[in-house]
Amino acid sequence: MDSSLILSQLISGLTSAMTLFLVASGLTLIFGVVNVFNFAHGSFYLLGAYFAYQVVAVSGVGFWPGVLLASLGAGVAGVVMEFVFLRRIYGRAGEAGFQILLTYSFILILDDVVKMIWGTDYKSIERPESLSGQISFGEVAFPAYDLAVIAAGLLVAVGMWWVIRKTPFGRNLRAISANREMASSLGVNVPLTLSLVFGLATAMGGLSGALSAPVRTVTPGAGIEVIIGSLIVVVIGGLGNFWGALVGAIVIGEVTAFGILFLPQWAVLFSYIVMALVLVFRPEGLLARRGAS
Amino acid sequence: MGRRGMMWGKGLALGMALLLCAADLAMAAEKIVIGGMYPMTGRGGRYGLDSVAAAEIAADEINAKGGVNGRMIDLIFTDSKSNPSYAVKVANRYIKEDKVNFLMGVVSSAVGLAVTEVSKENKVIFVGTDHASTGLTMEKFQPYYFRVSNNTYQSAAAAAMYAADKKEWKKYYVIGPDYEYGHRVWEDFWTLLQKRRKDVEMVGQAWPKLYEPDYTPFITAILKAKPDVLVTSFWGGDTVAFIKQALPYKLFEKMTFFNYDAGGNYEVLEALGKDMPKGLVLSARHHLNWPDTKQNQEFVAKFKAKAGRYPSYAAEGAYAGVYFIAEGVRQAGTAEDPDKLVAVMEKMKFKLPEDPEGFTSYMRPIDHQIVQVQAIGETVPNQSFPPATMMLGNWKVYKAEEIIPSEEEILAARKAAAQKK
Repeated sequence: MDSSLILSQLISGLTSAMTLFLVASGLTLIFGVVNVFNFAHGSFYLLGAYFAYQVVAVSGVGFWPGVLLASLGAGVAGVVMEFVFLRRIYGRAGEAGFQILLTYSFILILDDVVKMIWGTDYKSIERPESLSGQISFGEVAFPAYDLAVIAAGLLVAVGMWWVIRKTPFGRNLRAISANREMASSLGVNVPLTLSLVFGLATAMGGLSGALSAPVRTVTPGAGIEVIIGSLIVVVIGGLGNFWGALVGAIVIGEVTAFGILFLPQWAVLFSYIVMALVLVFRPEGLLARRGAS
Repeated sequence: MGRRGMMWGKGLALGMALLLCAADLAMAAEKIVIGGMYPMTGRGGRYGLDSVAAAEIAADEINAKGGVNGRMIDLIFTDSKSNPSYAVKVANRYIKEDKVNFLMGVVSSAVGLAVTEVSKENKVIFVGTDHASTGLTMEKFQPYYFRVSNNTYQSAAAAAMYAADKKEWKKYYVIGPDYEYGHRVWEDFWTLLQKRRKDVEMVGQAWPKLYEPDYTPFITAILKAKPDVLVTSFWGGDTVAFIKQALPYKLFEKMTFFNYDAGGNYEVLEALGKDMPKGLVLSARHHLNWPDTKQNQEFVAKFKAKAGRYPSYAAEGAYAGVYFIAEGVRQAGTAEDPDKLVAVMEKMKFKLPEDPEGFTSYMRPIDHQIVQVQAIGETVPNQSFPPATMMLGNWKVYKAEEIIPSEEEILAARKAAAQKK
């Protein structure tokens, strides 16, 4: 097995990992801080992809500003969902059941909304001109766009680390995650912080969708496909753990990539096998839950 | 109006309403009711909505000419949700409550296999318009089932003839979605190709899950195997995603991409637009630009006028389905006697938009599978159907009789299936 092949598989695994990470980290952040399991999280990936199609391919906004707008749009949609709907069920008896029903129903609602606005055919946006080619390192060549996605994912990870660790908002977020009542009685504006966390997390999902739009299929139902992968990632990384999502995503991305290289006909299985192993030997996830920090 | 006047008014209104209902019932008894089941949500949604639009075009054309034997065609549609158990409920409701004369539709073969059981039990004819699994006409055949679009065997047989003629195609790699359809498309092809060529070998296979969003790790593995041909059974969005992701790896310059069952569907050409590479070898169950007959051009134009978009191949199947039913009822002189209908329908010939000059599609009694010509083309620049920038061209056309399983093959497959039970 030559090293160039291993390197190119490493990069392609890392690209899928970053897309997964952007969705899974939002999922885990919402769970860790807001204490909601947001089944509809994949739908914000879907919204991000369609918003990107709308602003880039239809309205002709440049690619990167378009991607930012799309992820902002998904974040706003997330805040609306939290503020108008989820907020009503916080603290209700049997909240978990309501959460599942409510967030699951949003998968169906958002899928239909997308279908009503954009129809059922596949949408497509082109890669930005500067990133449509390959970048070569010696004899190995990688799609330039994939490298940009990896860079964007890492940038978000570092940015999130800074937000969580170094800003007043991050301090509030960690306080709420540790003990919501205590944080509230110490003067943290809990409702506002929860809305913002929800918005931030769904914006990251939207960013993932927008970045995927040029290389994947933009179609109703795409949200459900990413939510399954993200679920595996958060289970592996530890539910509610932000860095767990990063580790989980990289593990899944690389295990799948190398699984395909050696045993392509069993490729579908690998991520599930890893998940099963983690559940057996470390059911709390690779990085045990220590709040959202 | 005084109080008494209002009472009268209400009484009259009620009377009118009752009368209208009675009239409606009388009308319903005379209509030919077709219960259509198509996915209208999720990935198959485009096919379902295209099928509905095309079926309505056919019904409107027939009704505008006075219907069939004086009876109007009445279409009802329900979202099958691509879910077999749900579709079975819909089919039962159609039969028991809506009293449909025919069942029609279904994009997914899994749903088709479930609905054909309902059709068999209730002796209600089920006309399949899009699902392609050969099983429905081979080992799972039942007399009340008909299929008016070609199946995977037919497209695979044409593909095997195409591949056999390409002397330089020796090393094959296959990638396709990991479910019945994906495997069947490949296996039918590979078995038939090996009968024609001894010097071909399979250098690798990969079966990602259906709707896999990310193919890049597969793409690098395929490049490593250096095949001459990449055979694939992707359809719809999976074909689109794979092509987009393989482009920066220059995969299409290193091997021929061969997606003969569904890759040439217009929605794929449309979605890829400028990203569609030249020289891919593709086909589909219907093409916008082949055959270049008046009937096909008119069908495409009518669809465009009604739906505001060009049709995916599912549309022509549904259009054919309605005409098949109408012609069957006309010849049998009944819509209520299933056995009489089957006797007529299984020998029917009828001209469809996808029939080239000098050929008319026909039903075969042994498997109730429509027999049609199959054309395989390469992507070539063609701006006539925007937003697609490539359409198929350089056609190779395969005769209808050469791409169907023989009667002995069918009987043997049924016998083998019966013994397994």
